[in-house]
Amino acid sequence: MHINYWTELKRSKFGRTGLAMISILVFLALAAPLIAPYDPWAYVGTPLAPPSGEHLLGLNDIGQDIFSELLYGSRTTLMISSGVAIFSTLISLAFGLAAALWGGLVERVILRLIDIMLIIPVFLIAILVASFFQPGVTTLIILLTCLFWPPGARIIRAQALSIKQKQHLTAASSFGAGKGYLVYRHLLPDLYPIVTVNFIQVIRRAVFMEAGLAFLGVFDPVQKSWGLMLHYASEFIFTGAWKWWLVPTGFMISYTIIAFVLIGYALESALDPRLRRQVYVGH
Amino acid sequence: MLDIKNLSVSFDTRMGRLTVLEDFTLKVNPGEKLGIIGESGSGKTTLALSMMGLVSGQVQGSIKYKGEELLEKSEEEWENIRSTRIAMVFQNTGDMLNPVYTLIDQVMEPFLKVNPGKKKEAFSRASYLLQEVGLTEDHFYAYPFSLSGGEVQRALIAMAVINDPEVLILDEPTSALDALTKAELINLLDEIVKDKTVIVVSHDLSTVMKLTRRTAVLYAGKIMEASSTQALLREPRHPYTRALVRAYPTRTTIKDLQGIRGEFPSLVEPPSGCRFHLRCTQSLETCSLVPPPLVEEGDSFLSCHRGGVITLLQGENITRSFPRRQKGLEETYFNAVDDIDIILKEGEILSLVGESGSGKTTLAHILAGISPPTRGKVFFQEKELYSLPKKESKKQRRYLQILFQNPQEAVSHRMMVHDLVEEPLEVQGIGDKQSRAESVKEALELVGLPADSFFLHKYPHELSGGELQRVTIARSLIMKPKVLIADEPSASLDASVQAKILKLLMHLQNQQGFALVLITHDLALAGKVGDRVAVMFSGKIVEEGPTSEIFRFPAHPYTKLLLEMAPSLETEVPSIKRVVKVKYDGEKGCPYHVYCQHPLDICYEKEPELKKVNFQKVACHKAPEGKKNNKLNLVENRVSTEISGIKGEVL
Repeated sequence: MHINYWTELKRSKFGRTGLAMISILVFLALAAPLIAPYDPWAYVGTPLAPPSGEHLLGLNDIGQDIFSELLYGSRTTLMISSGVAIFSTLISLAFGLAAALWGGLVERVILRLIDIMLIIPVFLIAILVASFFQPGVTTLIILLTCLFWPPGARIIRAQALSIKQKQHLTAASSFGAGKGYLVYRHLLPDLYPIVTVNFIQVIRRAVFMEAGLAFLGVFDPVQKSWGLMLHYASEFIFTGAWKWWLVPTGFMISYTIIAFVLIGYALESALDPRLRRQVYVGH
Repeated sequence: MLDIKNLSVSFDTRMGRLTVLEDFTLKVNPGEKLGIIGESGSGKTTLALSMMGLVSGQVQGSIKYKGEELLEKSEEEWENIRSTRIAMVFQNTGDMLNPVYTLIDQVMEPFLKVNPGKKKEAFSRASYLLQEVGLTEDHFYAYPFSLSGGEVQRALIAMAVINDPEVLILDEPTSALDALTKAELINLLDEIVKDKTVIVVSHDLSTVMKLTRRTAVLYAGKIMEASSTQALLREPRHPYTRALVRAYPTRTTIKDLQGIRGEFPSLVEPPSGCRFHLRCTQSLETCSLVPPPLVEEGDSFLSCHRGGVITLLQGENITRSFPRRQKGLEETYFNAVDDIDIILKEGEILSLVGESGSGKTTLAHILAGISPPTRGKVFFQEKELYSLPKKESKKQRRYLQILFQNPQEAVSHRMMVHDLVEEPLEVQGIGDKQSRAESVKEALELVGLPADSFFLHKYPHELSGGELQRVTIARSLIMKPKVLIADEPSASLDASVQAKILKLLMHLQNQQGFALVLITHDLALAGKVGDRVAVMFSGKIVEEGPTSEIFRFPAHPYTKLLLEMAPSLETEVPSIKRVVKVKYDGEKGCPYHVYCQHPLDICYEKEPELKKVNFQKVACHKAPEGKKNNKLNLVENRVSTEISGIKGEVL
């Protein structure tokens, strides 16, 4: 069945909401230097000052503007999550396709590797490794990529195997097409939906993971990150500052995750015929 | 008797010099019955007339009659020859007899010319002959306008033989006659010409088949093939002969009629090289440059650079095994395709019939070069497909295309019509974007689809099943393949669309001249389309042969069963209950014995081999050896040598 994802996404209420939320977030992240009233790293007033006309969400314990911090934090979050999503999807594709196309020993090795990776408790390993490295953005992207690719690879391999049996691939190879052409022209387009869903899932997990790791303090403390903000805010839970420090940060994290969940849900229901209410005709 | 050497006949017309016969060489032995066949315009009648000295154009070369050179004879000598030695029965075009004389007077005329004054003898001979050809005394004094076409033709025969000539030339003796009269006349001629040398010029193959023992095929003034009539019409070697036979309808023709592609060439500027190369489906470059020599092989002649119709695709001992594990036992294999030999000739349609599970599709994929066989070899244009180097193999793919059963499955739903049809060219890297777009348009027009931008930008799900199948046909044909393997191309379509698709395929096959393997489970359909039918059962070919033979004399019980089960509009449903049995490696006996109604003991022990029975091949222990034992069969043969005419007189 031919599905236009973009149309499907726009059709679904959840999809529209999710897209709108993401667009806002992306806009805020991109425009952060323009919107942010202060440099989030600068000391701009009395520490722990409550919200005022000058400082929308007040100041943190070292006198930085929390609103500006939030804006800049979205950059880190989006950077890490999209980075992880892109790289881990690429790795998933590479391993999944290799396993499906070559089969035999290659397939067995890859599958066993995936199995091993899947039984490793991701969060635990992340904490251990991260606390050892005290990672920055790049290191965290690499770390999470390494941990997040296996489920995707497995799904992609399964899907590629079933697509490989389709006759239009047989037809193309009867014209003399090689593996490269088949992957590029036939497999990838058919894998596109599953890859997209996988991509969104990974983003969601990465947002959560980044926040969690930073909250636990295993992240470069110089970076502006929502997780780090939670980490610092939680130390001042006894003061009233949590109301404008902890809550908005928590809200932003939830907001981002919900946005991706909504998109993921809309896409998944578009792909699974059982979840779709009506068949899409025309375009 | 007659020895024609390098005979050329040409006419000067206002269009230019028309060469009707060129370099014609033929020997006719005493008592021989020779047929000359060809399309109209091929020079048959001119040849006949030049043997009678009646041709008005420039004649070169030599015609020797018992050593005498005929072409140097004067008009007087010719007249003598014409009245006593070489006579001709003209085609009755309605103006052969003089309307003011009675019939018997005209029949007597040639006799009186040779024996002046012997009127009595003339009368008695004429009346004897007229009665001999089936006319009564009532007709003797009739004027030609009161006689029917058949009666006039009879009279013309009587007239031709009245002086007892040694050579009789029959020019279209039976064309334009109805079937009954024709049968009678053929009987009659067969009787009359027994001791004479006969040359039959006709486009009517059945007449030639019945009256002659040897036949030459004439095309655009040249001999294409000459051989014994039986062999020539049954197993034609030259593509032109085959096309002629294919276009000739007989009572037992099951396949739809097909004309010969292209137009008859102009004789003012005849095609260079082989005269037939423009309409030939297997012509090479040399065919258009060098005229092929007439090669003698035993008693047959052939004028073709490629040695007649070539074998395009050949499977040798093809076996494809699939593992089938059984519980607690060792791994076993079963053969989906079991030791099959198959041949596909150039430009022919082979129907492969069998029930599902008989291995048709597996065989199709092996022949198409998609999946290698476990054992055996596939030769395409004399090269083994699966052992070619990669580059060569990719190139060969252009000429070997496969069409899938379900068009929806066979296309990517993410590609538009244009991309779909263009794909083979893209894969092969043929042409640039613009020339490819042109090719796509051509291909779409070929299959009867619009080639406008609106259609080109449609997605597969916006097309109907029939349209989509046409798109896949266009895609297969865009590289101008030599072989197209169609795997149940119409199974998923309704009868009306199926008819259209199959007609289209046949039309394209004829026009483009590729060889077609049609795979189907429907024997009725297979017969309509195929020149040859091969019946598959349990991975084996159990029967194979010309369509008409298979349909009339199915020798294998399975073919008989399939014929019974073929679609019909009768209310009775034939009841049938059975299980499909697969054959395991190393198992003995005929694979069909489990369903066979009357198996012999040997059927359980030995597997029957595919052996030749008349014109077909059968794998059955019970099949008769050699000649058919049934008398009826002989009478019913496609272009039969026996005549089943109606005895008696026409009043």
